[in-house]
Amino acid sequence: MIRLSVTARIALLSIALALVSNLVLVAFVWKIVRDDAIDELRRDTIEQSEALVAVYRTGGLPALGRTIREARTPGDESRIVAVIAPDGRLIEAVGPGLDGFARWPRLGFHMRALGARWSDREAGYAVRQIDSYRLVSGRMLDDWQEEQRGIERALVTAMLLSLALGIGGGLVVARYVGRRLNRVADVIEGVAAGDLSRRVVNAESGDAFDRLATRLNAMLDKTERLMSELRIVTDGLAHDLRSPLARLRTKAEAAVLQADPAQREAAMSGLLIETDLVMRMLSTMIEITRAESVSRDRLAPMDPIALMGEIAELYAPVVEDAGMRFETVLPRVAPPMVLHRELLTQAIANLVDNALRHAAAGGAITIRLRIERGAARFQVEDRGPGIAQSDRAQALRRFGRLDSARSLPGAGLGMALVEAVARLHRGRIDLGDNAPGLCAAIVLPI
Amino acid sequence: MPPVTRKILIVEDDSSTAAYLAKGLGEAGYAVESCSDGRDGLFLASEGIFDLIIADRMLPGLNGLAMLGAIRAAGVSTPTLVLSALGTVDDRIDGLNAGADDYLVKPFSFAELTARIDAIFRRVDRTAIEGQPTRLSVGDLEIDLLARSVTRQGKTIALGAREFNLLEYLARHAGQVVTRTMMLEKIWNYHFDPGSNVVDVHIGRLRRKLEEGFPAPILHTVRGAGYRLSVEP
Repeated sequence: MIRLSVTARIALLSIALALVSNLVLVAFVWKIVRDDAIDELRRDTIEQSEALVAVYRTGGLPALGRTIREARTPGDESRIVAVIAPDGRLIEAVGPGLDGFARWPRLGFHMRALGARWSDREAGYAVRQIDSYRLVSGRMLDDWQEEQRGIERALVTAMLLSLALGIGGGLVVARYVGRRLNRVADVIEGVAAGDLSRRVVNAESGDAFDRLATRLNAMLDKTERLMSELRIVTDGLAHDLRSPLARLRTKAEAAVLQADPAQREAAMSGLLIETDLVMRMLSTMIEITRAESVSRDRLAPMDPIALMGEIAELYAPVVEDAGMRFETVLPRVAPPMVLHRELLTQAIANLVDNALRHAAAGGAITIRLRIERGAARFQVEDRGPGIAQSDRAQALRRFGRLDSARSLPGAGLGMALVEAVARLHRGRIDLGDNAPGLCAAIVLPI
Repeated sequence: MPPVTRKILIVEDDSSTAAYLAKGLGEAGYAVESCSDGRDGLFLASEGIFDLIIADRMLPGLNGLAMLGAIRAAGVSTPTLVLSALGTVDDRIDGLNAGADDYLVKPFSFAELTARIDAIFRRVDRTAIEGQPTRLSVGDLEIDLLARSVTRQGKTIALGAREFNLLEYLARHAGQVVTRTMMLEKIWNYHFDPGSNVVDVHIGRLRRKLEEGFPAPILHTVRGAGYRLSVEP
């Protein structure tokens, strides 16, 4: 099947619409004019037949015949008069096409085509009974036919006009639609060419085009965000893998050059540590991507106090060995929660690691579980430099390590994992001020 | 060195890994047989003549976990160590739930692998010979598992609950290397790798309690692998 272009379809539609409206109008006019013409004809015919009947009453058939013959004027072909005998014979007849009459016409007023083509020669006539005769008197509908031709001309004009209007209107509408869609298409082309910052200019009028524009813009916003996150991820990964790999290379080189077996072995074990660091980064990466798509049936109901208690037990010696005070604040009771024990533990462990790494000078780390209305806060608080309000969003972004922390070791993957785990539990991360220090919380709905 | 030659079946489709395993384990004194797909593995394992199966997870023919399920369903209880590149926490837990005795993520260090193999054999031997012991002793160190008390040279050493579990685990594998990840898995039941040196810190504390005031060290660090509880250095 041939598919017309939208422009052609819109043009055809407007042509059809204009045509229909014109045709309806013309048909209406045609009907009114015709009805008027017929009414007039009926009145004339009845008057004429009254007059003929009066002639017959006073003078009989001979007087009627005389009157009929006298009434015939040369050139006037429109008048019809006939007297029909009971045996069907035409006694007196004036007018064209009289042979076409039925031998014994019915009484009353009739409209009828005379001749082959009714539209050419239509006549109106009245049939009356006078004694045993029938009197037919009437007229051709010639006036009307002139009017009809006028209307036909109007019809042709109307059709031409509709065609022109339709094409014009179709072009205008198609151009308008095309222009608005082109704006969208241009943006999409730009995006495809790599310019993700382009947006459709939106009039906010709420029509379908604006809705399309709004949706497209929203989609582009999201795509741009994801792309920039991806870029940060790849940049960050490359950056973060670079340093341990560089160290690995240096150490490997040193180990190769080491002549003393004992020192050589020490250098070799240094290599293993660096390799493990890289391995750990990669497995965290995988854990993050997996946490984004882990199915909820991996989660099981458990006691959040026990979970926090285990973490505290694991980390207390670590924090104390780092020369800091370690405190655990847990509520006496907490409702059981549906959690991914390992991932959540790993996330909280990451927060503790962050505190160990960045807040060593603060001298204290607190692990706290706080049950609030509808939410549980798994909190790690430190007394370090904290994160300025303006930098907190950046800190939450995947791989977004704050610049001041760039020189410190640590893959910057930690927060990304924490975020992914929070999302897995339908929760969020909350970074607050511990005045002084940072209070990082994983807030999960109960 | 094992007293009798133990037979290990390696089911691994990657030929270089299989060769590396076969060579290393052969040098460690084991008799090694390899095959490269799950169906052959199932066929060989159902003979029940092996002491240990080391199986990759992603295998042609029949995947590792399905093969393991079929072996277990056939009533063969040969201990199995799953070796896989699928290393997330959930992957490991799936592996253990499928009936694996241990799960090791590729790439792995050979020291880690032999430590885990030793631990599996030790556990098998112990349950075969002595059932559940109530006392463990390593040199001059005595551990009473019922009273949960520890003495060295007759002097009582006070340990926390977790420290006791740690020591018990080390003592059950006395003379063998126990790796950090093994301890995390068995003592804390965590299957992820915490960034900081958490296990080292706990071992350090335990070591101070076990060795302070005594002339000879008993808890040794094995570089690049883990720790070993033993009188010999």
